Amino acid sequence: MRRPDLLREAAAGSGCAPWRLVRRLAVPSLLLLLPSVAGAQDLERGKAVYDKYCSQCHGETGDGKGIAASRLRPEPRDFTAGKYKVRMTPTGQLPTDQDIRNAIRKGLGFPYTAMPPFDRGLIDDAELDDLVAYLKSFSSAFADPDAQRQPIDIPAPPPYTPAGAEAGREVYERTGCAACHGNVGRGDGFSAPTLRDDWGQPIRVADLTKPWTFRGGGRREDIFRTMSTGFAGTPMPGFHGALPPEDIWAITDYMLSLSGGPQEGDTVEAPYANVVRAVVVDQPIDLAAADELFAAAPPALFPLLGQIVEPGRDFYPSVVEVAVQAIYNQDEIAFRVSWHDMRAETTGHNAPDLPVPSWEEQLAETGGAAADEESGGDEDDFWGVGTEESGEEESADDFWGVEESGGAGDDFWGTGDEGGATTPDKEFSDAVAIQFPQAMPQGVVKPYFIFGDAQNPVDLWFADLGKVARDPAAAEITEADLWTGRGSAAMTPNDAGDVPEVVARYQEGEWSVVFKRKRRSRGGLSFNPSTFVPIAFSVWDGFNRERGNKRALSAWFDLYLEPFERPNPLPAMAKAFGGVLGLEILLIAFVRWRRRRTAPASADAARPATAYESS
Amino acid sequence: MEQFNWWVIVPVFAALIALRWRRTSMLTWFAAWWIGMFLVVRYGFTVPVPMSVVKLYMGLVTAALVAYVLTDAGRIREVTEPLAAFMTERRYLPYLAAVALFIPAAVAFGIYRDMTRVPQPPSFARTIHPATPAEPIDVHGTSYDLGTADNPYRELEETDPAAFKARVENGRKIYYENCFYCHGDVMAGDGMFAHALNPIPTNFQDPGTIAMLREAFLFWRIAKGGPGLPAEGGPWASAMPAWENFLSEDEMWNVILFLYEFTGHRPRAVELH
Repeated sequence: MRRPDLLREAAAGSGCAPWRLVRRLAVPSLLLLLPSVAGAQDLERGKAVYDKYCSQCHGETGDGKGIAASRLRPEPRDFTAGKYKVRMTPTGQLPTDQDIRNAIRKGLGFPYTAMPPFDRGLIDDAELDDLVAYLKSFSSAFADPDAQRQPIDIPAPPPYTPAGAEAGREVYERTGCAACHGNVGRGDGFSAPTLRDDWGQPIRVADLTKPWTFRGGGRREDIFRTMSTGFAGTPMPGFHGALPPEDIWAITDYMLSLSGGPQEGDTVEAPYANVVRAVVVDQPIDLAAADELFAAAPPALFPLLGQIVEPGRDFYPSVVEVAVQAIYNQDEIAFRVSWHDMRAETTGHNAPDLPVPSWEEQLAETGGAAADEESGGDEDDFWGVGTEESGEEESADDFWGVEESGGAGDDFWGTGDEGGATTPDKEFSDAVAIQFPQAMPQGVVKPYFIFGDAQNPVDLWFADLGKVARDPAAAEITEADLWTGRGSAAMTPNDAGDVPEVVARYQEGEWSVVFKRKRRSRGGLSFNPSTFVPIAFSVWDGFNRERGNKRALSAWFDLYLEPFERPNPLPAMAKAFGGVLGLEILLIAFVRWRRRRTAPASADAARPATAYESS
Repeated sequence: MEQFNWWVIVPVFAALIALRWRRTSMLTWFAAWWIGMFLVVRYGFTVPVPMSVVKLYMGLVTAALVAYVLTDAGRIREVTEPLAAFMTERRYLPYLAAVALFIPAAVAFGIYRDMTRVPQPPSFARTIHPATPAEPIDVHGTSYDLGTADNPYRELEETDPAAFKARVENGRKIYYENCFYCHGDVMAGDGMFAHALNPIPTNFQDPGTIAMLREAFLFWRIAKGGPGLPAEGGPWASAMPAWENFLSEDEMWNVILFLYEFTGHRPRAVELH
């Protein structure tokens, strides 16, 4: 629609009348014959939009090697391959223009992947069309006019039912989803640590229990589309044609049942909390049987971010959220912190004071960004088996942790161990810490959220899972480490404080770590009913070589201890009701008494309306 | 004008003006104004007004209305007469009983709600743009007086556009290597880690942020970060790094140029005393 206008403008601009006439006649026909010539204007404008909003990640030449690329995992998409992750077209086909527009308008799963949505205020519809044309120009695949780009149909979904979801579990298992996504969908399948994309980059498996993190959206229709067409360039295959639609719906509903069923609305909201509520239990807290006690405690889900504030930065942490529960009685308080991790790293060790090289040093050690030289793998190799071999040769490339350890037996890809039955020795174990102010804050001032500060120290209840859960199935009760933090550069073991007990378990891709301590402490923090206590969390993933200050951490949140006795509101309500009613009766009695005294004859006859209408 | 909800304000005032031409009782007038003002305060603004503020304003409105009524004996009678009639006349008895029961029931319900309400964590009203320190700050051994300091490369915009452009480009590189994780791809304060932060990162597109600040203020905030905030800024919770740990002074000034260039805002000028 705009195109002829533009051309007319161009023709008018030439100024010469006979030429203008010729152009007016010639240009529309040219337009039909040579769309690429006519599109040149659009590409210019598409390039302007691209350079402003896209090139910083995807690179000026569309190769995915922009400024931010080395600090993002997965790396930004390389457009020269013509592989667009989220599409309505079947596996092997190019995306439709609408697919590309959708990816830009909706993002790809932000903020759990770096591709954000760009709304009309930033890129209007006309600019979007120009941008799509420009993106397509990066790949020769789009030049083929015969290339098929036929979107699939998404049939009307059957109603969601728990029974249907349960039936979907069987299809999930039969289809082999668990190999990557794990037995209960937590992204911990046996092949999960070995997966790579078509560019040879390691890629993480989706945690199916968290639809708000899904690439391409977590609504039922989105999941159906992902299951049908797969994610181009990644090991996620498309099942369009391979599975009947009812099976795809069944798996979709099974997946959604893992997070309590589909949500209403156009987006899937993360159920984040800002307070964890400790509930009272009326029996001793026995760590060996804590599950029952925690059953009554509402879980609070807290988001984590990579520690990118101080040196030792972690630009792509493995763990993006922790679920926390708390229970207490007169004597003790206990917390259960759980999160999903594709592997339990229970060898090696970890501590909050381990040194971490600076990002620049980490890069220098590996000689630049990981996998820069890695060429695309076999494109048809969905399961990443072929590319994994090329990865073995380059096992020096530590993608998730970047820096090179150089130590033998530091094979974190588990190469040569496809089965994943045993976890290879790691230098750094998984670990978790709960952080509290060492003393209850007076007023608003809290310790610095990253391990405290000199004036306001924090206590860390730290569990090195390489120590406390060397055998994660044993669920042995041991002592946690107690650290005092006066800033990340001033971490000291706290030998004087009350040491919490800890027990950790790893099951089906989930770490569950329970801490317990005396509720009242002489030196440290006491936990009193009906109070809010600042609380924060850190999680270290040994697989990602996280240790010391390189970790996922949270902002300060609050712990609230529900009162021992819930006050019964009824007596107070009855008292207030009776009191107010009594006052009313007194008032009415007074008014009646006065009226009878002042106008005894006309009390019933006097119409209030006449009383003021006449005034 | 976007802050007003005209769909509430216009009908309320239209009704109040219409009331002026109808001869109504003083009591009706009193009630109409009270309800009208409540609707305006509570629903007349697009941003939600806290209940405490609504209560404060309604207290003022009530005081003003009562004062107006009390200034004239006729008005007093106009208000009290129908009330007294309501309380004394037999034909109003069922309504009187209903009202007499409704009021204590509402009070009891309020108490029930207060006692069963889930308590919310204490909030901290931080100062978002605290005053710059009066003492000069030290960055990499250079002392900066924030009252007079200015971006040393700002003048290149006029004198050497090519060099200016190169510095903006350098700032762009620094921004997308370091800042966009929190402040976002387009500087709207909505980067991929922003959802995990409290306070949330500053939105530079917002005309209330960098457009109202001097470049020296930005330099201070960038160099010293959260830990360098005064107490009223809540230094314990801010995730803004002290960028002097990572960046040179040049890099910090360059990224400031880029912030203004990308958003199209202009820095506030240095005021000369």
